[in-house]
Amino acid sequence: MIALTITLLTLLGLNMNMAFSSSLMQPDWAMALLLASLLAQRHNWFWALPLILLHDVVLYWSPAASFMVVAMIPLAMIYFDQHLGAGLPQRLLLLLLALLAMLVDGWTLQASLLTMCLCVPVWHLLTRQYAQQAA
Amino acid sequence: MPLSRRRYRLWLFGAALLSGLYIFSQLATGSTSMLLMSPVLEALHAPANWWQSATLWLSDRQQLQSDYTDYRKKVEQQSVLIQEANSLREENRQLRNILDIAGMPGYRWHAAKVRGRSPESLSRRLVLQVDGVSQDDVIVSSEGLVGVIDSTMQNHATVRTIFDASLSVPVTIPGTSLAALARGQGNSIAIDFIPVQLAPRPGQMLFTSGAGGLFPPGIAVARIAEVMPIAGRLFVETLAEPAAHWQRDNWLAVASQLHAGP
Repeated sequence: MIALTITLLTLLGLNMNMAFSSSLMQPDWAMALLLASLLAQRHNWFWALPLILLHDVVLYWSPAASFMVVAMIPLAMIYFDQHLGAGLPQRLLLLLLALLAMLVDGWTLQASLLTMCLCVPVWHLLTRQYAQQAA
Repeated sequence: MPLSRRRYRLWLFGAALLSGLYIFSQLATGSTSMLLMSPVLEALHAPANWWQSATLWLSDRQQLQSDYTDYRKKVEQQSVLIQEANSLREENRQLRNILDIAGMPGYRWHAAKVRGRSPESLSRRLVLQVDGVSQDDVIVSSEGLVGVIDSTMQNHATVRTIFDASLSVPVTIPGTSLAALARGQGNSIAIDFIPVQLAPRPGQMLFTSGAGGLFPPGIAVARIAEVMPIAGRLFVETLAEPAAHWQRDNWLAVASQLHAGP
């Protein structure tokens, strides 16, 4: 259910970015939602990474943009979780890395900050949802 | 033992992922996926269209009558202007003949509505709502060249802009023998093959030369921003800014070739 909701919101976000980019300062809606899903639970990679790929293909006409960085996040999370334990600082570092990739791809600093501002509460919300499901 | 096997699998998975990513990075998927999103873009624009229609529907009769009177006045004024424009066009044609300036024969011009644009600043690609266009038709704003049509689907088309590294535009400065190429570099334009002797000054405008037959001649392309002669090199390194700023334009013009050559 969470995956389906995030998928639909991602598709809507992609189109919001394309339709209103000239009139509104917007975050990268799709990136924020998918990053939050990955950071909330690394096992989400199997549906989040294809959506990141779609995001890149639609916006950049190439799969080799932010996907390259975001695909590393689940792997890095496995590595960090094994060596340092599941912790917030490592995940925040990965979030910043993905936002830096956005800057390299030509997004403005304001858009990247807005993406972070959207990502963090969604991440918190999803983490709580997963915790409730597990309990 | 199971731990080392798990680590081995993890590294194997990582190596496979990296290889996959490298192969992906060598691919370019094109604009079809962006074009497939056009129905959703239309749906997002629909509320604005409905609002416009509803406003028109709810306008009272008196308002419509006064609008009608105003428009009639405007039509009368415009018919006078059209007559004046016709006489100026004739005069212009005669002057062109005298000056031996090539016009833009072989192109059909029509308008296209901008429906979507890529939000990052590197490519600034566009989705247009337009009928009767085909691949490689030229897109122009009121200020200058924007790009070419990359792909079309029903009544939508995607535009590869002059910022795109895959697009090279033959350019010149009118009145000189300069024949250079403007090439997209993300958020600037590089001008290749400008000989040291013909190096332009910053601020000079480059226009399409018409070489190659894809772009009509005489369209403003870019304004020279920086010229850097490099010792020992035949050509100067030149950076330029685009003449057109289409990030806020809602309408653009399309030049379709009437008889596309081979």
